[in-house]
Amino acid sequence: REIHEEELRRFAGRVSALLQGPDPGAEAAEGLRRLHLTVAATKYPRRLDGKFVELLQTVLCSPKSPEQVQVLCAAILREMSPCNDLILRCDEIQDTKLLSLVSSVLLAQGNKKGEVAAVGQRVVKVLEGRLPEGQSALLLLPVLANVINLSPESLTKEQTDAVSRKLADWLRYASTQQGIVQPSGGFFSSPRTKQPAPVTEVDGAIATDFFTVLSVGQHYTQDQWLNVQAFSMLRNWLLFYGGQEGKAPNPDDKPGMDRSVTSVVSTTSTSSRLLPPKEHLREKAFEYCQRLIEQSTRRPLKKDDGDLQKACLIEAVTIMDIICKQDSSYVYRAVSFLKILHGRICGDATYARALLPIAQFFLNHSKLAAVDSDAIYKHLFTDIPAQLFHNPSLAFEFVQFCKDNSQLFTDTSSIFRQSFPNLFKFLAWNSPPLISEFVDLLPFLLDAGTAIEIFHLLLDLPCLTAALDIQLRAAALPTSEKATSDPAVKPATCLEAFRHPLYKSTFQHLLRTRSAPEDTPESLIPLRQLLGSLAGNPRVVQCAETVPVLLELFFRVVAESADGSLINQLVVLLLQRSDQLYEIPTFKDDVYRVLSSQLPMLCKLHPALVVELSTEILEFSGAVSNIQSKEPIFTHVVWAVGEYLSVSYDKRCTVEQITRFFETLEAVLFEITQLRPLASTPSCAPRAISVLMATLTKLAARSQDLIPRVSMFLSKMRTFVQSPAVTSVYCEEDLEEILIRATELMNLLKMPSVAQFVFNPPMDVPSTRLQKEVNDSLPLALRMVTHLLEPAPGCTP
Amino acid sequence: SRQVASQCQLLQSSLGRLSSPQLPQLPDEPVSLQDAPGGLFQMPPGDPFPERVTVVWLSVLALACALVCDPQENLSLAEITLRRLAPRLLISLRLLSPGADVLLRQDAADALLDRLLPHGQMLFLNERFLQAVDREL
Repeated sequence: REIHEEELRRFAGRVSALLQGPDPGAEAAEGLRRLHLTVAATKYPRRLDGKFVELLQTVLCSPKSPEQVQVLCAAILREMSPCNDLILRCDEIQDTKLLSLVSSVLLAQGNKKGEVAAVGQRVVKVLEGRLPEGQSALLLLPVLANVINLSPESLTKEQTDAVSRKLADWLRYASTQQGIVQPSGGFFSSPRTKQPAPVTEVDGAIATDFFTVLSVGQHYTQDQWLNVQAFSMLRNWLLFYGGQEGKAPNPDDKPGMDRSVTSVVSTTSTSSRLLPPKEHLREKAFEYCQRLIEQSTRRPLKKDDGDLQKACLIEAVTIMDIICKQDSSYVYRAVSFLKILHGRICGDATYARALLPIAQFFLNHSKLAAVDSDAIYKHLFTDIPAQLFHNPSLAFEFVQFCKDNSQLFTDTSSIFRQSFPNLFKFLAWNSPPLISEFVDLLPFLLDAGTAIEIFHLLLDLPCLTAALDIQLRAAALPTSEKATSDPAVKPATCLEAFRHPLYKSTFQHLLRTRSAPEDTPESLIPLRQLLGSLAGNPRVVQCAETVPVLLELFFRVVAESADGSLINQLVVLLLQRSDQLYEIPTFKDDVYRVLSSQLPMLCKLHPALVVELSTEILEFSGAVSNIQSKEPIFTHVVWAVGEYLSVSYDKRCTVEQITRFFETLEAVLFEITQLRPLASTPSCAPRAISVLMATLTKLAARSQDLIPRVSMFLSKMRTFVQSPAVTSVYCEEDLEEILIRATELMNLLKMPSVAQFVFNPPMDVPSTRLQKEVNDSLPLALRMVTHLLEPAPGCTP
Repeated sequence: SRQVASQCQLLQSSLGRLSSPQLPQLPDEPVSLQDAPGGLFQMPPGDPFPERVTVVWLSVLALACALVCDPQENLSLAEITLRRLAPRLLISLRLLSPGADVLLRQDAADALLDRLLPHGQMLFLNERFLQAVDREL
């Protein structure tokens, strides 16, 4: 990376000399490697001398160059893309290996000069023509696949038709005999060539049908290799060129929107040769997929082939789906076939990922085929997440499936919507990769009907992780230990609690597969305590970290459409649940932070909530213990009282209510500002003291007979902050702030009409900063008033 | 690659394993991939890829490999491909022998990728085909 320009140039010069020499060998290759490293190591393009670049291209295309040197030249050229000095052209190249190398360079150029189309044209031309001796199309198919990925419009209809015809042949008519190894000659070689053996299936049986990627042989022939390549690029080929002419490829096309030849007459293998190339390929592709599906449920001799079987199954079903979208006459053939397949694999956990494309197929086509596929969806959404949440790949793909079909969740009665508790199991177990996916998915699951249940679910998400952990461990126990435990004996471990009658139903509620809004989670309290032993479990901690993000999103979505009744419910629950959270320290703090920050927003949406929920709020704000355990929430609740307990926000607000709140808060403030604090007096965040003072002042401004009480209280604050017992607990800046605030509030109360205006602006005045958060603007307003009342020293009064 | 590293660390910690800073010894048996940590995640459009991509990753010993796919591609095949690439890369780059000049063996890596992932195209290779590929290399 630190090589200087000059040194680089000299080195390039040396290498070019080597390359131009009679026999560029290992030394040249070594030099090229170093150059490649140098060019690749920097983010910014290294300038290599134009002549040198030209030399690289010449060497690349020269038939005399050894292969290794050619590969390295191509690598360097690729690394330097996009490169303006490129003079490479592929138009005349006949050699497939060279064409492949040159294409790799051209395709990396960013298609500014139509390189992709040029490569595409050349490749198709070579494929169509007769290939030179010893060459095969094998090296060119991946190039073609790349071309259509980058720029599908670069091929004409004639060209795609020609390739479609070839693809169909390679897919359907590859040899079913194994390849022959050429005898190596020498002393021990057998004079007779061996008879070729037939290919077998993955389970060892002799193959009785055409060759596919799941066919096994000792050695393979060229056309069998082409078969593999052709299938590997089939999906994209059909996506781009299998549909209607001139239509931009869109894999999300709904069925029925893309009608090409809807042939009512079913095609048989013999007659399909007469079809146009596109339809011919479609037929062959369909047959290939059918064959693959049949092959993929055989028991493989080599274990790793099993993985490929599943991948082939997924690919085959996906391709069938595409074919049916492009020609709906295939739907009838496919539906019964896939239903049988589903029946065969739905009980086998190793095939679970294949259930997703099958379900997608039925979602896309079952209406057309008038087929009832509810059982398939039910199994997918009820059983699979519950049993296989711990499989990270399945979890990821399942959630993608939900996102791709998000419109399914809008129907409240559907099995999809009802299963949302099951979906969260994926997130609870695999939090880091799935959190961003759930951020996308959550809005679709959330509405007035599910909000409350999801609120509880989010707050208990780490508990769910712990419960899933216990469920897994319990399932792994030998059957002897699985008996239900004695109800009289308290469980000593979480594992024992899993089968204990006292806790069983709460576990079941946590691990439920369907939405159950009527079940109250109060019964979770003892279970939460019991699960405390797992609070340090890394997975639980990771899950807990996702909750604040989701909570914020939850409120943002809910705010868009919530009515007063829902907001009230949420606030009440917010207060209740603040006591009932899983005991993970940072988790509780984060949750408090998020919940408390939502209060101003909720009050703004529904200002009357303070009056409507006065009982609950009174109870909450009157408990001194809440100041210590949940300071953010307490502070924001008290602030809300100060802001919104007023006739201007709710006509039903009475003087009695104001007085009742006043007395409650006054008592709290009294208790925490004692001059000689008892051992039991909590030491509180100074912010709580400030907000209590401010709220009491605001309330007094509305019910003016309370003013003398507040003023007297505030005047005592000076003694409070100076008392020795207090100065040892709070720091100097905080005490000074408290004193300043108390003084400002007192001054404000000396001018009751000003106070009233500051704290109760008329509703039609556009919302000013005064109505916002307690710590921001109120001090500013108070300071202004203080200045009015206490002129700066030196001014004449 | 930063994303892959953090996903890997998070997965490791969720499984209760500590990440060790030293390089592990080359094991005598062939590297087992059964328990190798790996996963899938998505990256939104923007930096560094213009479109939304899905990343499939695998960690073997001290090396992490990632395959960047379009969201619609066959992810099962991507995992299989990665599971085949990773140990072969380890061997052909001789990553674990001392004094390995890994960075100067890029053509070995290229040759491997050229066979198993030609022009970035994944291949449906069964075990016998894979053996044939290994013979050619």
